[in-house]
Amino acid sequence: MTLLHHWLIEPFSYDFMQRGLLSALLLSISGGLLGSVLVLRRLALMGDALTHSLLPGLALAWMLLGRGPLALLAGAVATGLITVLGSALIGRLTRLKEDAAFGSFFLVAYAAGIALVSQAGTRVDLLHFLFGNVLGVSPVDLVLSASAAGITLIAFVVTYRGIVLEIFDPIFSRSAGMRGGWYYGGFLALAVVNLVAALQTMGVILALGLFLLPAATAYLWCDRFATMLGLSVTVGMAGSAVGLALSYHTGISSGPSIVLSLGAAFLGSALGSPRYGLLHAARQAWRERRSVRHTTD
Amino acid sequence: MAGHDIFRLSDVSVHYGRRAALEGITTQIPCGALVALVGPNGAGKSTLLRSLLGWLPLSRGEIRLGDEHPRHLHPRLAYLPQRLEIDWDFPISVRGVVSQGRWPALGLLGRFTAAERERVDRALAELDLTALAEEQIRRLSGGQQQRMFLARAIAQGADIFLLDEPFNGLDLAASAELLHLFQRWLAQGRTVIAAVHDLPLARAHFSHAVLLDTRLIAAGPTAEALSEANIDLAYHRRMPVLGARP
Repeated sequence: MTLLHHWLIEPFSYDFMQRGLLSALLLSISGGLLGSVLVLRRLALMGDALTHSLLPGLALAWMLLGRGPLALLAGAVATGLITVLGSALIGRLTRLKEDAAFGSFFLVAYAAGIALVSQAGTRVDLLHFLFGNVLGVSPVDLVLSASAAGITLIAFVVTYRGIVLEIFDPIFSRSAGMRGGWYYGGFLALAVVNLVAALQTMGVILALGLFLLPAATAYLWCDRFATMLGLSVTVGMAGSAVGLALSYHTGISSGPSIVLSLGAAFLGSALGSPRYGLLHAARQAWRERRSVRHTTD
Repeated sequence: MAGHDIFRLSDVSVHYGRRAALEGITTQIPCGALVALVGPNGAGKSTLLRSLLGWLPLSRGEIRLGDEHPRHLHPRLAYLPQRLEIDWDFPISVRGVVSQGRWPALGLLGRFTAAERERVDRALAELDLTALAEEQIRRLSGGQQQRMFLARAIAQGADIFLLDEPFNGLDLAASAELLHLFQRWLAQGRTVIAAVHDLPLARAHFSHAVLLDTRLIAAGPTAEALSEANIDLAYHRRMPVLGARP
């Protein structure tokens, strides 16, 4: 009991840790929801590219306008839009396919971001920017996290059926006269807002971890979409709490330590999930081989 | 009601870019019938189905069912494309998919009441899926997966089924089951309009046929529309002898 207290309760007796935890818990809600869409629509790598491409906008906004959340948001939205629209344009109008266009854009943007941050000198701490610093979560950041989580949650509750059809069978929603169209854009917008909100705790690069890993974990356990959403939010919350405690005790930055905790849940599930895990697949393959041998003997 | 409706196509043309997919189709397609759309590859069967849904901008002509534009017929029309681009690993049960049939009527937030649930149960029962209702959809066979989407259409309240090559990829037993289902629907006054490439099957089981080769070759009761002479007209120039010059 005292050990548990020491490891998991004590760290959160500090104000800054409480703010960090609250922010991470809030973003676990939106992260779990958006991440599930990311996984099912096969947008995981696109999401990764998108996070990298936000860096130069964030860096510029930070240098020119200071680190207010609205300034950062504006910077991120600007570079996010340039990347999404630019690669869509190149993917459509040249012979280059969209994934190559996207990949190229994100590399250039990422390099530009690193260049900007390193030029800014001591004004911007590169490590904090990239990997998150839970010490820096201000009350304003908390408001941003709460708003991002709130908007995302409301959007999911209100358009749940539309989201399911948009991912599962857009042709049916069209033939039945349900209008799609705005879902993809709305999804990208929510993703950018939440990535910016997660910036302080998770860092630019690892923010996506709070989206992708809980959803990938939940997907390995669930056969219902609603259950998957719920489980992925729960996994995100648990991973955030454990990760922040880990960060407190070991001195690892909060971003990596949250992602590592979530990663443990993911790897454990990928191995051991009773229906969709590697061990199950291996056992099945072995059994099949044995039964083939028996029948041919 | 359904039995008296007629799709009226007058001078319907559809172009993809500069290529004509359908040209000057004027005909009537009766409801309360089993209608086979027949023609060589690229003859415009899929295009005609999607025009009947009101999805394609017609470059000329118009399509009406009664007095209505097809776009205003949503709950009555169900469409099953040829290649279902479905992620079979999506976390959803058979019942979940069939329930989607009620969503267009309920909208995003309408309450899924006990009456709705009952409709879904009836649709599942009608297509013999009750025992599989709670299964994740990958565990169904090809024929069962198709029946699941037809059950969704039933739950939606559809009575006109626009099916693109529904017999593709079905084994004999599943094909026979599907034909049996069509016969039952026909007796209930429902309509099936299906793209079919198997001529003997169309002749044996469909009451009406529309024979296409971008233009309309023939339409009417199957025996007349699919006469040898008409089939030759539709297919002849698409079956060149190898080595022969056009």
